[in-house]
Amino acid sequence: MSKTKELARHKRERTWMWIQLMPVMLVLTVLFGGALVLGVAQSLGFAPWFGVNTFPDFSYFAALWGDSFFWKSLGLTLYYAVAATLISLVLGILLALALVRTFPSKAFYKYLYKLPLMIPYTVGIALAVIMLGNGGMLSRLMAFTGFIDDPNQFPQILKTHMGWGIIAVYVWKQTPFVALTIYAVLLGVGRETEEAAAILGANKRQIFFQVTLPQILPGIISSTLIIFAFNIGAFEAPFILGGGFPDTLPVVAWRYFNDADYTLQLQGMATVVSIALVAGVILYSYLAFYRRYERRIGRS
Amino acid sequence: MARESASVALNERLSPYQKLYLLLIAGFILGPFIPLIIQSFAFKWAWPDLLPGTWWLEQREKSVLPLAWDYVISPYSQVWEATLNTVFIGCVVTLIALVICLPAARVLARENFRGKPAFEFFLSMPLIVPEAAIGIALLMIFINIGLAGTYIGIIIVHLIPTIPYMIRMLTAVYQGLGRDFEEQAMILGASRWQILRMVTLPMLLPGVVAGALFTFLVSTNIFLLTFFMGQGKIVTLPTLLFSKISGGTLDASAAGITLVVTMPGIILLLITERFIKEEAFGKGFGN
Repeated sequence: MSKTKELARHKRERTWMWIQLMPVMLVLTVLFGGALVLGVAQSLGFAPWFGVNTFPDFSYFAALWGDSFFWKSLGLTLYYAVAATLISLVLGILLALALVRTFPSKAFYKYLYKLPLMIPYTVGIALAVIMLGNGGMLSRLMAFTGFIDDPNQFPQILKTHMGWGIIAVYVWKQTPFVALTIYAVLLGVGRETEEAAAILGANKRQIFFQVTLPQILPGIISSTLIIFAFNIGAFEAPFILGGGFPDTLPVVAWRYFNDADYTLQLQGMATVVSIALVAGVILYSYLAFYRRYERRIGRS
Repeated sequence: MARESASVALNERLSPYQKLYLLLIAGFILGPFIPLIIQSFAFKWAWPDLLPGTWWLEQREKSVLPLAWDYVISPYSQVWEATLNTVFIGCVVTLIALVICLPAARVLARENFRGKPAFEFFLSMPLIVPEAAIGIALLMIFINIGLAGTYIGIIIVHLIPTIPYMIRMLTAVYQGLGRDFEEQAMILGASRWQILRMVTLPMLLPGVVAGALFTFLVSTNIFLLTFFMGQGKIVTLPTLLFSKISGGTLDASAAGITLVVTMPGIILLLITERFIKEEAFGKGFGN
């Protein structure tokens, strides 16, 4: 008798728990799942509102993937994303390691370095234009020091496929993010293990690579996952600062969508699905690789 | 010898390299704002002058305010409209996110159930699926059901990237809270209502304020989703700035608008630093 009562109580609690989780789950499932299902369906030729319904039809993917410009776009997208992520990671780790030390004006510095986190990417783009453009500050400084005497002689930084402007904006915005994440991990870990290693005779290099680095690895993984995913899907910086055709994939998708020929929207949807696929495969293998590493060193 | 190296390795102070590095990073972050501010007060600034040839001050008889700022505060620039839109959307998004995330965060912090890791992973999905992909796919749906170009449409899509942050910060708050204080109050004879009002809520409040501020911040910084869903009908500060600089040049009025767009970030930075402890931030981002 009491057992059934217990069971009923337990059941009630479980139901109550799921009711509390429901709103968030519902919102994300509808928005996410809806976008996913319809996106894939459209890229396979399901668009009755345009009078197009040839589902399942792989011709949009075939047309997209068969064109060499798609692969160039993909290469550019990945290049900007990887370069910016790696540079931000190195700069961010160095910044976090400096921030855990004590120094005068540290309280002020902790405000200062977070500023890029707080403002939109478009502000970063505006700053890149005023600093790196052909008539920008760097160009003026070079003229002042006598290196050039015409704006056209300034090396083109923006609007090229080398993408230095795009990468600069990403790094400007994401270095503080990496630093913040890793700084928080460092604070949580404390310095005892580093002290122990030092007392046991490890030098600075050994302490960093064998003690500190494995400890901050979870922070490194999570922050790089987030910024890499963002960089692959970013639109505004490549749109304004990029070198034009071939564009990065999000810009390509956007151009398809604004094309007067609305059937190209399906091609655009195929581009969008391709972005999600590429990002998914890369992030999944990255995580799988990390899990294997964790198991090998015996964590979790 | 060994002791000496140990003390070097454990130095609490900055090495000269680190000092230089911190200065360089500060210059990298703040430096570009200097020409931006100068630009917004310039009357004429030709290449290759390092400073404007004619400042606004010298031309005061022509306009009372600096030309750029005169334009920025005029209704033609849409700055007021964009600011109001940004704040309004941010507030509504924060409120909705708070209401739907609070109960879920409570469960995530206190209960263990089957599939919890999978659920947590699902909640952080919006952070690792490219925004362009979600944005364009949802845009097609929203155009068909008439939500594109409306406040409701924008508010709904803003929930996607804000929910993961809100959930993580609130879960951290509940974890930090523990059950001890509530139990003590119960032992001392407090009723459920008294416990909620006098123990749980006051202890929860700072964390909730922090989570709300952070969500508001994320919402005000969203460009892509607003740009896609707004359809040019609803401008917010990031999309307004985008339309000013999309040509790849920056004139004085664009410099002024850039500074205006920076302001909410600075204000929120000053506020959040008081509410959000570094550790909480770490919990928000970590894992």
